Amino acid sequence: MPLSLRTSLATCLALPALALAQQPNLSGVWNLRTTPETRYLSYGFSREEPPMTEWAQEKFKLTKPSFGPRSFADSNDPVNPTTVNAVGCFPPGTPRIYLQPFPMEIVQTPARVLMIFEFNHFIRQIWTDGRGHNTDLGPTWFGDSIGHWEGDTLVVDTIGLNDKTWIDRAGHPHSDQLHVVERMRRPEPNTLQVALTIEDPKAYTKPWGGQVTFQLHPTWNITEMVCEDNVNFDEFLKNESKPGK
Amino acid sequence: MKIAPRWVIACVIALVIPAFAHHGAAGYNGKDVQTVTGTATDFQFVNPHVIVTIEAKDSSGAVTKWQGELTSPNHLVRAGWNAHSIKPGDTVTLTGARALSGAPSLRITKTTVNGKELKTEMGD
Repeated sequence: MPLSLRTSLATCLALPALALAQQPNLSGVWNLRTTPETRYLSYGFSREEPPMTEWAQEKFKLTKPSFGPRSFADSNDPVNPTTVNAVGCFPPGTPRIYLQPFPMEIVQTPARVLMIFEFNHFIRQIWTDGRGHNTDLGPTWFGDSIGHWEGDTLVVDTIGLNDKTWIDRAGHPHSDQLHVVERMRRPEPNTLQVALTIEDPKAYTKPWGGQVTFQLHPTWNITEMVCEDNVNFDEFLKNESKPGK
Repeated sequence: MKIAPRWVIACVIALVIPAFAHHGAAGYNGKDVQTVTGTATDFQFVNPHVIVTIEAKDSSGAVTKWQGELTSPNHLVRAGWNAHSIKPGDTVTLTGARALSGAPSLRITKTTVNGKELKTEMGD
């Protein structure tokens, strides 16, 4: 092989690695970090009530979450129902998946950032190769995410979300006009910050959002967690509904 | 066509049993925290919550079957547990909030097996 060709080939092969080396690195296993001041993150993205439209308020009245200030023993949460006639285990979607109490791993490649969530092994693909949105599938649970780097921050734009999920575990609704913008950065090696802006003109009178902070766990692995694997829980619940002596 | 009543009952039961059920804390009374000691009869390392079943004798000798739920297997593995942490016959003490219904069922906050506490805090 001529030297020039060999050099070109080597350069081409090295380009992806070079591109990755130039990007900030968000890779790792991350788990949500909460403090007494951010306990609300167990159910929502904001301490304050989001600015719902009348349409959203009507929908909100029908939601019965199992977590947060409005928690119900007979929750109709589409992910974690506690009623005897709800199905459950539907995907939490974007952005609620962040509030499910399980870690996630970020795997970064030159053209794509993958988020592998332990909760039911959901995967988000964030394309960073310059492509535009693709919503050919129509509305989906996690939507279509594209990202670009602004300095040390990965800016992720997500649209194409269906209206079957709640924004959070507190039962705040949204429509299929939901648009989520996330700004992700690693201000220090063990910390990942994701600032969210939530826009949905049908459900909210103005954009709102919050920030979730994750702790790096270098020794953890993402393990199997299958939501539907809870049929054994039926007997438990049946026994629990029987009053004791 | 005559349908046997027991089939009707079976169908109704099948319809109301949840396909995939789950729990929040709202089903428990946080002000009614109880501690019971007994012999393990079952340990299910399953999602969404690990289930422990014990048989406990009261002072009159009557045996009550208690059940308790912990967090998910993934979290417990990170805290040092495994699928064999509790075996039938082990002496187990459970502390937790009791079900609002009054059933002998606990949301477990402390577990001791054969005299040794198994913590639930996850490591780094």
